[in-house]
This record gives sequence, structure tokens and C-alpha cells, in this order.
Amino acid sequence: MKNLKLAAAALVAVAAFAAPAVGYAQDAVAATDIVPATPLAEVPRNATVQLGWGVSGGSSIGTTNPWVLPGYTHQEGNNLMWEPLMYFGIYKNEYIPWLADSMEYTDDTFTGLEIKLNKDAKWSDGTPVTSKDVVYTFEGQIKYETLPYHVQFADQVDSVTAKDDLTVEVKFKAPAPRFKFEVLTEKFDTGIPIVNAAYLSAQADPTKAPGRDEIPHSGPFDIKAWNVNQKIFDLRPDWWAVAAGRVTEPAVKRVVIVNILNQPIDTVAQRLVNNEFDSAVDMRAQIIQNILQQNPEIQSWTGTESPYGYLDWWPNSLWMNDALEPYSDPNVRKAVSLAIDRDAINELLYEGAKIATIYPFPLYPNLQAFADSDAVKAEQAKYEPGKYDLDESAKLMEGAGWTKNGDGLWEKDGHTFDATIQAFESIHGDIAPVLAEMLRQAGFDSNVNFGTDAYQNMVDGKAGFYLFGHGASLFDPFEALNLFHGKYSQAIGSSAGNNRFSRYKNPEYDALLDGIQSLSSDDPKFQEGAAKALGIYWRDTIDVPIIQWLHRIAYNNHYWKNWPSSTNQAQGENGAFWAHTGMLVITGLQPSGAQ
Amino acid sequence: MTTISESAAPDIVRQPSNLTLFFRYLRRNKGLAIGVLILVALTLFTVIGLFVVNPKHAYPLSAALKQPPSLKYPFGTDFFGRNLLVAMVIGMWQTALIGLLAGGIGTAIGVLLGFTSAYFGGWIDATIRTVCQILTPIPVLLIQVVVAGSLDKRDVTILTMSVIVAMLAWMGPTLVVRAQVMTMKERQFVSVAKLSGVSDMGIIFKEILPNLLPFIAASFVGQVFGAVFASFYLAVLGLGPLREPLLGNLIWAAQNQGAFFNGWWWWPLIPSFAMILILGALALVNMGLDELANPRVRRTE
Amino acid sequence: MNFRVIAKRLLFFVLVVWAASTIVFFVPRLSTRNAIRERFGELARTGGFSPGDIEKLIASMNQQFGLDKPLLDQYWQYLNNIIHLDFGYSLSKYPTTVTEVIAQSLPWTIGLLVVTTVLSFVIGTILGAISAWPKAPAWLRGIATPFILLTGVPPVIMGILLVFFIGFRLQWLPLGGAYSPGLVPGWNWTFFFDLMQHQILPALSLILGSVGGWVLSMRGMGVTIQGEDYVNYAEHKGLSGLTIFRDYYLRNALLPQVTGFALALGTVVTSAVVVEGLFGLPGIGTALNLAIRANDFPVIYGIVIFITLAIALLMLILEFVYPLLDPRIRDS
Repeated sequence: MKNLKLAAAALVAVAAFAAPAVGYAQDAVAATDIVPATPLAEVPRNATVQLGWGVSGGSSIGTTNPWVLPGYTHQEGNNLMWEPLMYFGIYKNEYIPWLADSMEYTDDTFTGLEIKLNKDAKWSDGTPVTSKDVVYTFEGQIKYETLPYHVQFADQVDSVTAKDDLTVEVKFKAPAPRFKFEVLTEKFDTGIPIVNAAYLSAQADPTKAPGRDEIPHSGPFDIKAWNVNQKIFDLRPDWWAVAAGRVTEPAVKRVVIVNILNQPIDTVAQRLVNNEFDSAVDMRAQIIQNILQQNPEIQSWTGTESPYGYLDWWPNSLWMNDALEPYSDPNVRKAVSLAIDRDAINELLYEGAKIATIYPFPLYPNLQAFADSDAVKAEQAKYEPGKYDLDESAKLMEGAGWTKNGDGLWEKDGHTFDATIQAFESIHGDIAPVLAEMLRQAGFDSNVNFGTDAYQNMVDGKAGFYLFGHGASLFDPFEALNLFHGKYSQAIGSSAGNNRFSRYKNPEYDALLDGIQSLSSDDPKFQEGAAKALGIYWRDTIDVPIIQWLHRIAYNNHYWKNWPSSTNQAQGENGAFWAHTGMLVITGLQPSGAQ
Repeated sequence: MTTISESAAPDIVRQPSNLTLFFRYLRRNKGLAIGVLILVALTLFTVIGLFVVNPKHAYPLSAALKQPPSLKYPFGTDFFGRNLLVAMVIGMWQTALIGLLAGGIGTAIGVLLGFTSAYFGGWIDATIRTVCQILTPIPVLLIQVVVAGSLDKRDVTILTMSVIVAMLAWMGPTLVVRAQVMTMKERQFVSVAKLSGVSDMGIIFKEILPNLLPFIAASFVGQVFGAVFASFYLAVLGLGPLREPLLGNLIWAAQNQGAFFNGWWWWPLIPSFAMILILGALALVNMGLDELANPRVRRTE
Repeated sequence: MNFRVIAKRLLFFVLVVWAASTIVFFVPRLSTRNAIRERFGELARTGGFSPGDIEKLIASMNQQFGLDKPLLDQYWQYLNNIIHLDFGYSLSKYPTTVTEVIAQSLPWTIGLLVVTTVLSFVIGTILGAISAWPKAPAWLRGIATPFILLTGVPPVIMGILLVFFIGFRLQWLPLGGAYSPGLVPGWNWTFFFDLMQHQILPALSLILGSVGGWVLSMRGMGVTIQGEDYVNYAEHKGLSGLTIFRDYYLRNALLPQVTGFALALGTVVTSAVVVEGLFGLPGIGTALNLAIRANDFPVIYGIVIFITLAIALLMLILEFVYPLLDPRIRDS
């Protein structure tokens, strides 16, 4: 009977729906909101730092364990919980020993490293930080594939042994003169923290246990409350660094990180001006300028002067897939470079400040010295990397077989030159459209792709240009130049790992780099080889450097002063509270005396 | 006793022309009048604009940056160097295009399906009707956001936006047309036509369709309204074709660059105001036509 | 209320949810984007995460999330999971589950939406009914007019204008967030007042634009009913204006309004996506927005299906409530 069938179908459907839903087993410690069991202590506003921050995809609430990826991020205050062996003060060009007193290579072959730990360092549960923790941290990186430095450790580290409670010896498979700096030291957003062996080894899977407020950590702040709106951290009274006399008791008793989600940037700016935030995400030049005008207590890294920010380690270029037609022709790449008017960029977007660049590395003190060296200057004169000349560009394109069609665009075999720029809206919102128009005026069929597939297109080596940075060199140019080493370049269609998008292959270049790899940075042979490699970079226009990267962060002095700036170098760290060195920034703040 | 006049021709009753009737109706139905007036004004602005301006100026780097409204730039310029007056002209034209295209597609599908469903009845009717009813509670805008968000940015053009917007919008017109055709099917004039041997197609085109026109028109305007709203919504979220000067894109870009805070108030305010006019006019016309189509709702003179 | 009708309604409910699930499943997958890769890409770009061999990493995560199986297999698995209300883990916020993401964001949206929808429904309905009632004094009917004029204003523009004029210029109300920094949510007056303060502007953005709609639809209904015989009869009988208004007019006009209410919930949630973004409210709208930008499809499904479920459920409940309001249906 029709009725019965209908009824039966409906019943089954309902029964299926009503079936117990939440049956899957939940870990005792799950990634959920952290709600304080007892009401928090009253902390006055002038002992609290309020920061505005947004994480793009959202982070995993309750995940404080640095080994849980991709949900963990150090940028939302978790950097206040974890500490490394050493920090690096980039502007003072100095190491800042922290959990380790010293890290020295045992000899000139750079195959052995000895780490001597700080005897005063303690975890938040009172137990001391020992070599066991360091060994566990390193071995974890070797063992678990999902950890951030797994490949570096697995490829380069041969063994890690604890000689005694405070000494660790690391042996490398091949000379690794940069390992100490690149991997074991925290600066900007790179470097590893040391984790607690006792807690993590007791977990079923240390890469899945969220940690919440249970995991012992060595940093000064504890996580107290965490939900989609905000994170609240309170200062621990028993932080080892204070007890050991290394630092004075921080004046900041509480840190509140407010999630600004995707609020429009001008509302965030207004909240800064209203003193609701003491600092916030970095912003573009115009907005910072207006913020400084509206609230005289707010300063930037360069005070109230342009360019309002400090040099970040991520200079941007227009990368392209050098193994793909038509980008595989160096003359075509040079033509593209000739279409970029760097002076106009400086004028239009940065009020004349010299932001446009020709280098694939940031001009930090040591790198600036390198760029100013005679050898490099000679290469620069030979290849003129910053030149802007539309006629010469046109000549090169014609020489490569392109003709201008009716719309004024270069065309060959019925196709225009695909110059789509893959970029990230939040950070390239101002520069990408300008670049697209410049390229268009030079005849390249250009527009901008801000979709979240932009990064994937870069990785896949699709046609077009990739507006991306070089997150490599901080001290010497090797890492940046190494981005273009042939051994990393893979065939078209595969994904280029580790942000090496150019897929450039040149045996001459590779040989140069191999020759200088095991040399230390101050070796004159190293300087010579590096200069030659940079010359090849310019000669072949491996990518087109566009701008230095600046972090323009507003520092509100209404409640707190002693923010790092160009005139207040403190320990030489940059002023980003979200970087690993953010812990040094926050603990260094002093009250301004406001109520 | 009344005497019947011997004069041959009766007095001819002069009917007012259709246009006069229309204006008289407008006088009563003020909402519709205002809506139509605004739309006409906007159309004039766009059409005259298209003849007068250089479309290139609607794109970045074509004018001095960040200029407030002045004689040279009546609507000012934005951060990227678009001449906002030109951007508005082109943007409104593109918005109208999306509205008309998507509205047209939605209405066409609606008429086709509604007709088929009502005229042929039986299981065809049951299927179409059920599908429409099932799809109605689904939050359509959310689905559109998901679709637009999944596409490769270069695939998002004016054309694809129209398709996305029309994708799930046809259920309303289908049901309306279906309901109307069903009532008409039973009406006398159709039976009469059938009896006098008019073919099925003849009935459809000569008898039913003309009577459906008010409803189709009302549906069409409703669809255009929905399409313009949806495309604006997608653009404001940053999911539209970014280079084009669609009004929603302009507002999104302005928010991104912190326009209010930086003091470039004209950049988001002018497109906002234009959007309010467009949507308001469409809404008024929509409601007015609803009234027209449903005589019971008409106010008496 | 016979069995067959109940069964039919339940079946309808199931079909609606199935249709929504299917549409929302296939669409993001048809794109070539990979959420896991994009998340790691984001990490690589911002967090100094430098995976040497990102391929292996992605492959292992793909396997974990079951993304390496053929599409149809994934579809059946997906339907199966939905029946058990298990949406799995979020791709970008791993190890947070989708259910957890929804649970974290939902409270912030519900309060706002309930307040908004109820207020605009009530205000709009009453104003609409009044404005069509010829016996009401002219000034009372005039109150509705400004709201009608505002109908064309989408909530997002309303929000932008409110933020600019009231937030920036006049500084009367807070500019964002669900509550002030440093507070911990709790059942106490301090928190409640702070929360309400932060909801005013977002609620206004949503209300001001939608009241007009209710007014007009109510008025439309009202005009229709005015012509109905039973109203004439009631007038002739000499019933007081207020009685007629309440017992005949309002109750009959209410029915279609109520259906409209359920459907309107869908629209309001969609508006919430943008309004929440504008005001930095961490509700479902923001969660969906962030998920779409990251192509985190488990979260996208979870949220869209959840909303569809809510709407369909509401409609189901209302269908059972109808007969209580309208005896004509009850007896048929």
C-alpha cells in the first residue's frame, strides 16, 4: 500500500537521524575552548597589554602544543609560552643566549655542535629544563614527518646525545655551518622551541595532543582563557628568568589577544586610536600615517616619519616558473623586468621612500655590507637589474617572436602573454593592482588573482607571475641564493617544495653554490662566490625583485612604553609581538603611568 | 414612456489610451511611480555616461590618486586611480547587465518549467513542483558564496557571476507561473478556444501567455532585484571579478584600504548611495508590480 | 493530523537536507583547490614553517581525511557521516572538530539573530498591520513610511554607515568584537551589559533594513483581508475596532507571515555573514567566511547543512503549529 511505504520510508529516515550522534570517543584533552575554572584575578588596564590580531584560516582553539600542525601557531601569544635555545637580535647582529648558555661548533668542519644549557631554566611545573628535553625535541623532529623542521633534521642530523644533564652533543652527516642559526635559533618566525619531554612522551601521540593549559612550558605566561573572541594570558609568578636574576620582573601582568577576524582595517585602526589596543596587526602606509596623525601617543618603528616600519625578512619579487614557456626565455624575463618602474612604485605607494628593491634578500646590516661590496657593485653595473625602459622591453619581446595585437598586447601563436599575478589580498592589496597595470601598459595581459588558490598555483608552477617573498637570508646571502639551486628544481607539473618556485636549472650556478656551501660567511672566498652567483641571478633575471617588505606596526604609548624602534634597539629584536621574539618585546614593556 | 431616438449612430464612448491609464495608475500607486522614476534616472545616467566617458578611466592608474570630488573629478578618484564617475557609469552598466541576464535566465527557466508543469500535469507536474519546494528552504545566498569562493579567480567574470546568481533563483517564478497557468487552464476562454479547434500551441501563445504577462513581468523584476542583490553581496565579500568597477567591488576595495579612516569618504559612500538607489527603486517597482498583478491588493482611487 | 500527512512532511524534511548536503558537497570539490595544501602554504608564508617535502606531508594528511579516495566513495562516506552528525575535523584548524567549530561560534550568532529577527518581525508586523488599517489615525500609519524607504538598503551598507557615523564620528558605541577585551564570558550582569552594548550596532544594521519588508508584506495581507467578507460582517455586527483588529485581522494575516518568518531565517543568516565580518563578531557567519576563504570544506559543509537543518526543522515545526492558528486547515 502506498501509504505504508511512504510511512516506512519516513520512519527509517527519522530513525537514522535520531541515532546517537556524538558517539565518537573524545580525547580527555580535546581542542576546545579554555574556560577558567575559577574567576580570574583582577588586573587593572594599565597592567594589561591588549593586542589586536587575526589569523587567516583560524587557529585551533586550545592547541598550545607546538607539535600539533597545522592547528598550532606561535603567533597568537603562544610565543609567550615557549622558549628556544637562543634568540637572535637582528639589528644588533647578536645571539641572545636563553635556554642554552652556548652553542659552539666543535671544529672547522662544522660537523659537530656542542650545546651547553642554562642551569637555571625550569618548566612551569617546577622541574628543570635538562638535556633530556633537548634530545627529545630534536629526536621528535627527526621522527615525526609533520613537524616543521623535520626535513632539515632528518637530512642533516646524524645523532643527538646527552653528555650530561646540561650538555648535548649533535653530530651532522655533512658540514652544516648554518644549522645553528637557521634552525636552533629563534628569530622572526623561524627556529624551534624546546618542548617538555616528560609530558609529551606520556601522550599517545605527541603530534595530536592539543596541550591546552596542562602542558608544562618554560615561557613567562600561562594561558588562562581562550575562545573565538580572545585569548587571555597571565604572567606566572614563578618564571625561572626572574628567579635567576636574568631579567627584572615584567610589568605586564596580563596579555589579552583580541581576535579581529575579518573586521575592516579601518575599524581596527580606530580601535587603536581609541586606546582599546596597544598594538595590532601590521598595516599599510596610508593607514599608519593617519593613525599617527590622529593619536600623537602612537608611534611606529620610525617614529612619525616615513616609512613607518622596519625591514622585514621577506622581500617580494615577481617569481615565475622558469621551466615553463614563455617564461623560460631569459630575454622575455628581462623584458618583464624592464616594464617595472620602481621609482613610480616608490612615489605612488610609499610617498617617495625607497622601498623598491633589486635584491632577493633584506638589507640587514650584514647583508647591506654584502650589497655594498665592490664585487657586487660591479655585477650590478654590468647587468643593470633596476632599469626601466619600455622600448628596450619591446625590442626584447619582438626579438623573441612576439607581436603587438590590436589591443596593444603581446601576442604569439594566437595567445596573449599570460601575466596574471598570483598574490595575497591581505598583504598585496595595494601593490598587486599597480603592478598589473604597469605590466598591461607594457603589453602583458595582466590582472590579479587574490583567491586562496593563489599559493597553490605558485606551488604547481602555473602560468603567470607569483608575487611572493624570499624568506631565506637573514645574515648572509647563501640561503637566498640557494633558493635557485638546481637540485631543488623539479619538472613542470610537480609541486616545488619549500617555496622554491622558480625551478631554475643552471649547472654553472649550482657549481658556484656547491663551492661555497661549507665555507663560513666571513671567508673572502665565500664573498667572491656569492657575488658571482648574485650576478648570474641578475643576468638571467631568475625572478623580478620588486619591493622590500616592511612591517608597519603601530605602538600605542598610552599605557605602555619601551616598544622597540629604530631609536630604541633593546636587544635588537624586531617589534612584532607575534614573532618568536615577541616574548622579549612584551616582557620588556614598561608602564607609561596612565590610569 | 421613453422615446427611442431615431439617430442611427450611438454615442461613441471614448476610451482613454493605454498610456493615460498607466499614468493614472501611477498617480495612485506612488511607490511604483517613484521606483520607475529612479530607475529611469539611473538608466539615463548610465546610457548618457556610456557615450560620454572613456571606459579606460574606470580602471586603476588612469587618474590622479585619492582625489576628493572636484570639478575635474565630480565623484573623486580612489586609491588606485580610478575616476569614480566613470567607474560608476561602467559599474552600473555591468550591474544592470548581471541583473538583466540573471533575471532573464531565472524568469525564462521559471516560465518554461512552470508552464510545462501546469500544462502537462501528472507526474511531470508532481516532480517539478516537489523539486521546487525542496529547494526553497535551502539558503541560496550561502550556496552562491560557496560556489563563488570555490572558483578560480580568473573564472569569475560578469558572465559567470550571472550564471551563479541565476543558478538557484528560478524556483519562485516556476511556482508562480505554474499556479497561474493552472487556474487559467480551467477557465472558460481556454475551453472555448479548444472547442473551436485552436491547437495546443495556439492556445498557449494566443490565450494563456498574454494573460500571464503581468505575472511574468512581476517575476522578472523580482528576479532582477534578487540578482542585483546577490551579485552585490558576492562582490562586497570580495568574491566578484575584482578588476571590474562593480559597485560591490568598489565598496570592498574601499574597506580593504581603510577608506573611511583615511578620510576618503567619497570612495565607499558614493557607490553605497548608488546601490541604495538601485535596490530601493527595484524593490518599489517589485512591490508595485505585485500590486498590479494582484488586483485585490490595489488601492481604490 | 493523520499519519500520512506526518510521514509526508518528514520525508520532505529529509529530502531538503539531502538536497542541500549534495549541492554543498560537490561544489567545493569540483574546484581544483586543496585546502590542506593552502593551509600549509599559509603557514609556510607567515609562520616560518619550512617543510622540505610538502608533498609527503600533504599526502599523509589527505589520507587521514580520506581525501585520496574516489569522489563517489567520499560522497557515501559523507552522507553516512551526516546521518550520525559527524562532520569530522576542520582542515585548517586541525585538531579542532567541525562540530566544535560550530559550537564555538554559534552562541555569538544566535543571540544576535534571535533578537534581530524577533524585533523586526514584531515591529514590522504591527506597523504593517496598523498602516493598512483604515481606521487607524494618519500619524500612526505614517510611522511605517521611513522603514519602507530603508528596505532597499542591504545590511552591509547599513552597517558601514552606522560604524562610520555612530562608531567613528560620535563614538557612542563600541566598534567591534562581541565583548570588551579582558572580560571572561559568564552569567553575570557586567558581562551581559557589555555584550548587549556590542550587539546594538550589528542588530540595528540587520533590523533597519528588514523592518520595511515585514511592514509591506503585512500591509499587503492586511489589504487583502480587509476586503474579506468576514471583516465586513464583523464591522456590521458592531464589534469594536480593536477586537476586529486582533481577532480577525491579525490572526488571519499572521499565517503567511509565519511561513515567511522561517524562510527569512535563511536570509538573515546570510546577512549575518557580512555583518559579523564588519563588526568582528565571531559567530557562524564569520566561521563560514573564514572557511570559504581557506576552502576548509568540512567546516563549509558543516555550517551550511546545519543552517539548512535548522530552517527545515523550523518549517516542520511550524507546519504542525499552523492548524492551531487556522482552524480551516485543521479540519481539512
